[in-house]
Amino acid sequence: MSVGAHPTPQPGTEEYQPVFVGKALEQLGEILTRYPTRQAALLPALWLVQQARGWISDRNMAEVAEVLGLTPAYVKGVVTFYTMYHQHPVGRHFVQVCTTSPCNICGAEAVVKAFLDATGAKELGATSPDGKWTVIEVECLGACGFATPVLINDDFIESVTPDKVSDLVRKYK
Amino acid sequence: MGDELLNLTIDGVRVSVPKGTLVIEAAKQAGVLVPHYCYHPGLPVAGLCRMCLVEIEKAPKLQIACATQAAEGMVVRTQSPQAKSGRMGVLELLLINHPLDCPICDQAGECELQDFTFQEGRPATRYSPHYAKRFNPVEDFGPDVLYVPNRCILCTRCVRFMEDVAKEPVLNVSERGDRAYIGIHSEGRLDHPWAGNVVDLCPVGSLLSKDFLHKARAWELDKTASICTGCSQGCNVTLDTRENVIVRVRPRSNLEVNRFFICDHGRMNYRWMNRGDRIEAPLVRRGGELHATDWDEALDFVASRMRGAGGRAVALVSPRVSTEALFFARELFRGLEWSGAFQVVMGEEAPLAGVPNLALRAERAPNASGAELLGYSREYAAAVATAETAAVVLVLDEPDIAVRTAGALIYVGTVLPERARDAQAVLPIANVAEEEGTYVNRDGRVQRYFQAKSAPGMARPAWWVFSELVTALSGGPGGHVGTAAEAFDRLAASVEAFRGLSYAQLGFGGAPTPVATVVPA
Amino acid sequence: MGYPHKPHPKETLVLSKHFGEADARTYKGWVKRGGYEMLAHALTMEPARIIDSVKESGLRGRGGAGFPTGLKWSFMPKEKKKPHYLCVNADESEPGTFKDREIMRWTPHALLEGAAIAAHAIQAEVVYLYIRGEFTEPWAIMEKALAEATAAGVFGAIKLYLHRGAGAYICGEETALMNSIEGKRGNPRIKPPFPAAAGVFGMPTTINNVETLAAVPLILKKGPAWYKGLSLASPKSTGTKLFSVCGHVQRPGNYEVTMGFPLKDLLYELCGGVPPGRTLKACIPGGSSVPILNREETESCLLDYEGVVEKGSMLGSGGVIVFDDSTDMVYQIMRLARFYAHESCAQCTQCREGTAWTTKILERILSGQGKTADLDLLLDLAENMTGKTICVLSDSCAAPVVSGIKKFKQEFEDYIAGRRKPLLVA
Repeated sequence: MSVGAHPTPQPGTEEYQPVFVGKALEQLGEILTRYPTRQAALLPALWLVQQARGWISDRNMAEVAEVLGLTPAYVKGVVTFYTMYHQHPVGRHFVQVCTTSPCNICGAEAVVKAFLDATGAKELGATSPDGKWTVIEVECLGACGFATPVLINDDFIESVTPDKVSDLVRKYK
Repeated sequence: MGDELLNLTIDGVRVSVPKGTLVIEAAKQAGVLVPHYCYHPGLPVAGLCRMCLVEIEKAPKLQIACATQAAEGMVVRTQSPQAKSGRMGVLELLLINHPLDCPICDQAGECELQDFTFQEGRPATRYSPHYAKRFNPVEDFGPDVLYVPNRCILCTRCVRFMEDVAKEPVLNVSERGDRAYIGIHSEGRLDHPWAGNVVDLCPVGSLLSKDFLHKARAWELDKTASICTGCSQGCNVTLDTRENVIVRVRPRSNLEVNRFFICDHGRMNYRWMNRGDRIEAPLVRRGGELHATDWDEALDFVASRMRGAGGRAVALVSPRVSTEALFFARELFRGLEWSGAFQVVMGEEAPLAGVPNLALRAERAPNASGAELLGYSREYAAAVATAETAAVVLVLDEPDIAVRTAGALIYVGTVLPERARDAQAVLPIANVAEEEGTYVNRDGRVQRYFQAKSAPGMARPAWWVFSELVTALSGGPGGHVGTAAEAFDRLAASVEAFRGLSYAQLGFGGAPTPVATVVPA
Repeated sequence: MGYPHKPHPKETLVLSKHFGEADARTYKGWVKRGGYEMLAHALTMEPARIIDSVKESGLRGRGGAGFPTGLKWSFMPKEKKKPHYLCVNADESEPGTFKDREIMRWTPHALLEGAAIAAHAIQAEVVYLYIRGEFTEPWAIMEKALAEATAAGVFGAIKLYLHRGAGAYICGEETALMNSIEGKRGNPRIKPPFPAAAGVFGMPTTINNVETLAAVPLILKKGPAWYKGLSLASPKSTGTKLFSVCGHVQRPGNYEVTMGFPLKDLLYELCGGVPPGRTLKACIPGGSSVPILNREETESCLLDYEGVVEKGSMLGSGGVIVFDDSTDMVYQIMRLARFYAHESCAQCTQCREGTAWTTKILERILSGQGKTADLDLLLDLAENMTGKTICVLSDSCAAPVVSGIKKFKQEFEDYIAGRRKPLLVA
C-alpha cells in the first residue's frame, strides 16, 4: 500500500487574500437574506469566489466555510459534486462543448476538435501554452435543437459548426 | 412512536413491534438479519446502499427494509427470489471495484462484505478480468485512521457519524458517480476525540486503525465483554485478546450508557493491561526483607498483623479496582477506626455532541462512584496525612503512592513500586482484564466486566484476597467467597445502596443502583 | 431552429405565442399583452379555487412525470402552520429537451406570473427558481424580468428568488433540487417524507416545472374547460405541449402542439423530416431517459401521456431525439449511458456502479471485444438498475439500453461478431 493524497493544488506561499471583503461581502450579505439558513448561500457564495478568482482553491473553500459556519470538508464535498466549479486553475477563456448524443449525431466531435486546434489547447482539459484557453467536453447543455451549443465563459453560443470556430476564437483574443 | 403495537409477518414469523419501528429492526425480532451496509442503528437512515431490499406484499417493487416503517398486517419476505436477486445484484456491483485483497485486509473475518457475499452473493464476478478496478491511493486521515479508498463501498457511515453524531463534519463524499470517494479537506484531520468510531462503523476494511494495523486476524481474537477504565462514563467495551494479550478495545453497544461508541482515549487505554513487570507471588517481610511465599502463609501473615493492631486504619485505594474489592477491603477494617480515600486523575472532558449524556469524562476513573457508595472519601491528602500515625495502612493498587507510616503497610497491587518495598506484605492481584467484577459509573449504574485473559503467576482478584482475609479474621460469617458473583451478592446483601441487585441480574448491560446515594460509613 | 421562426399552421400557439417578440420580455411589453392580469385576479382568489381550476383543466406536470398539477398542489397543508415554499424546476438538463430554456428566454414573465399564482394557491411566501448553471442567457433574462416585475409590485407579499445550479443533471430531480437550494450536494432524498410534508428546509414544498407554471395564467384566463378541450386523443392528456425536436431532422426546434398530436406529423411536416436521402431509424420521444422507439412505433405514435406509453415508451419531458439510418445505435446508446454514469450522484450502489459498468461493456462491444454473453449481462444489469434505487437516474440509464438491445440487436451482434469495424472509443 502506498500512502498518498488526492491531488490538490499546493497552496501558495503568499498570504491568503480573502474573497469576502468589500463588494463581495456586501453581495453575500444580500444573498443571505434570501434563505432561512446560512448554508443555503453556499452555491451562490462559491459562484462569487469563482467569479473573483477564476477557480476555487482549498483555501477558498476554507474561507467560504468560515463565512457560512460550515466545515471546509463539507464545502469541498459540495464543490466536487458540481462540475461547473473549477477545482484547478483554467485558461482565461473556458470553452465547454456539448457532446451528448443529440449533439454528437450532429457533429459535435468535429466542433471539439476545431476548438482544440484553433485555441492551441490541443488536449481536452489542458490549458493552451499562452494560458488563454481551456476546452472541455460537457454533457448536455440543454440546447439540443441548436447543435452544437458551446459555452465560452458565460456566453452561450448556439449552432456552432467547425467552420465558425476560428472566428469565435479570434473574437475572444 | 409510543405504546401502540403493530403486528406483521416476516418470513412467516409473526412479530409485534412498536409503531415507528423500521422493518430491518422488526426483522431482528423474527430472527432475520437483513443484509445491509449503510444502515446502522446509531446513525440517521441514509437508504443508499440498497442492500436491504426485501419484498413487501402489495408494494409494487422491492423496498429497502432500513427506510420502511413496519405497518399493521404487513407481510415481508426477505428470501423471495426477487429480493434475493435484488440483493445479489447489489453485492455484485459492490464487488466490481473492490479488491480481492482479503488476505492482507484487517477486516477479513469480520467483514460484512465478505459475510453477505458468502451468504448470498454470486459465486463469480462477471466484471473482471475485462475491466480495470478503480484505484486511489491510501490516505492518512488522522492520528489513528487510514483510508483505503479501493475497498470503500461508499456507505457513508463514517461521514454521517462525523456529521450527525460527532457534529464535526470533517469527512465528505467527494466527486460523484463511480469516481466518488470519502474525502477530507487538505487542511483537515480526522482527530476528533471520538473519531476512532469510524473504523468500527466501516463495514469493510476501508477505514483502518493504525494501532491495530496488521496486528491480528479477526478469527484469532477472543472477545470478552468489559467496561472501559478510561473515565467515569462506564462505556461498555469488548476486549479483543490474542494469545493472552489484549490487542484491541472496541465499543459494545449499551443504549443506556454509550450507545454504540467509545472515545479514542478509552480505545487506546489498554496497553497497561499487558504489562510484563507484574508481581507474580505474595511477598511478606521476614528479617527486614520481602520474601516470596504462597497465599496461605501470606494471608496468615497479614491476618496476624491485623489481629494485633489497635487504633486507626487507613485505606488508600484506586478508583480502578472492582466494587467487590472495595467492599471487602472495607469489611476488613470493620470494628477499627477507619478512613478510606481515593484520588481521581483529572483530564479534559470531551463530549460526543450528538449523543446526550455521553462524554469522555474529566474524571479518569471507572469506579469513583463505587468507591463513594462504599464510604471511601475524596479527601485523599488528609487520608495520606492520617496514614502517618495509623496502625495499619492498606494501599490498594496505587503504585504512585507517596505514603509514610509508622504502622504496618500492606500493599495490594498489580505491580511493585519502589515505595511499596517498605511494606509488611505485598499481595499480587489481577487487573481488570484478568478478573470478573463490577464498576459503578457516574450515573450510579452497576456494570459487570468479564475476564479476558489469565492473571500472571499467583495473582488473584482483589475481592478474593480481601474476602479471604475477612474470613481469616472473623471466622467469616458467610464463609469463603468463591466467585465474583458471590462477592457481589454479599455486597448487595449488606450495603444499602446496592440492595436488591444480583450479579446474575446485572447481566451484560448492568443496572442502576436502587439508591444512588452515599451510604454512611 | 432559432426564433423568430414562422409558426407552422398545425401548431397550437399557447405558450409559444410570443416567442420571438423581444418586447414580450419586458414588463411593459408583457402587460401590453395582457400579462399579470391573472395574477392580480388570482391574488384576490381563495387558494382552493385556483387549485380546483387547475385540477379541472387536467394540466399535468411537464417536467417528465406527468403528475396532475392541481392534485399536487392540493397535497400542501390547507392549514398553514409552517412556511410554505414553491420551487420552480428550471434545471432543464434532460438530453433532447430545451423547451424551458425557450420559455425563459422569450416569456420570462409568463413563468413569473404562473409561479406567483401557484405560490398563492399553495400559500407559499417564497419561490425559488432553480436555473441550471449553464443557462447563462435565460438567467440574465429572468433576472431582469424579475427585477422589473418586483419593482412594479405585482407579486404582493410573495418573494421570488433565482438560484443558480452549478452543473449537475440530477438536480432536476425534485428532492435533489431542494438539497441543492439548501447548499448541499444534489443527492436525491428517500421518500417519504414527500415534499408537501417536508421539502426544502424541511418545510411543506411544491415543485413545478417551468412549462407547467407558464400554462397556469392562461388556464385561469381562458378557463379550465378551454384547456381541457385542447386534446386530440386521450382525455387524460390536455392542453398544449412544447416538443423539443433535435437530432436528424431538417428543422430542429421547439414546436407547440395539442396533446395527442401525431409524432409522425411533428417529425415529417413540422420539422421537415430527416435529411434528404435518409430514412428514419429510431426516435426517443421524451428525453433520453425513456425507451427508444423504432421507426414503425414512431410513425404510429400519438404524442400524449397515454399514446407514448402505448408504444412502450413515455412522454417524459417532450424532448424528441431523432435518429436517421446513418446512426450507429450502439455508439449512441453508449453515449447516453456515459451521460448517466457522469451524472450519477454516487448514492445508490446500482446507479453508481451500474451506470459505469454499463458504459464499459458498451465501449468494449464497440471496440470489437464484446461477447454474445455481454448482451445478457447488459440486460441483467439493467434489471438490477430498474426500480431499486432512490431516484430514477439508473432506470433512465437502463431504458435506452434495454430498448436498444431489443430493437437494434443486430447492430450489437455485428460489433460482437466482427462484421462491423471496431470503434476506438475514448
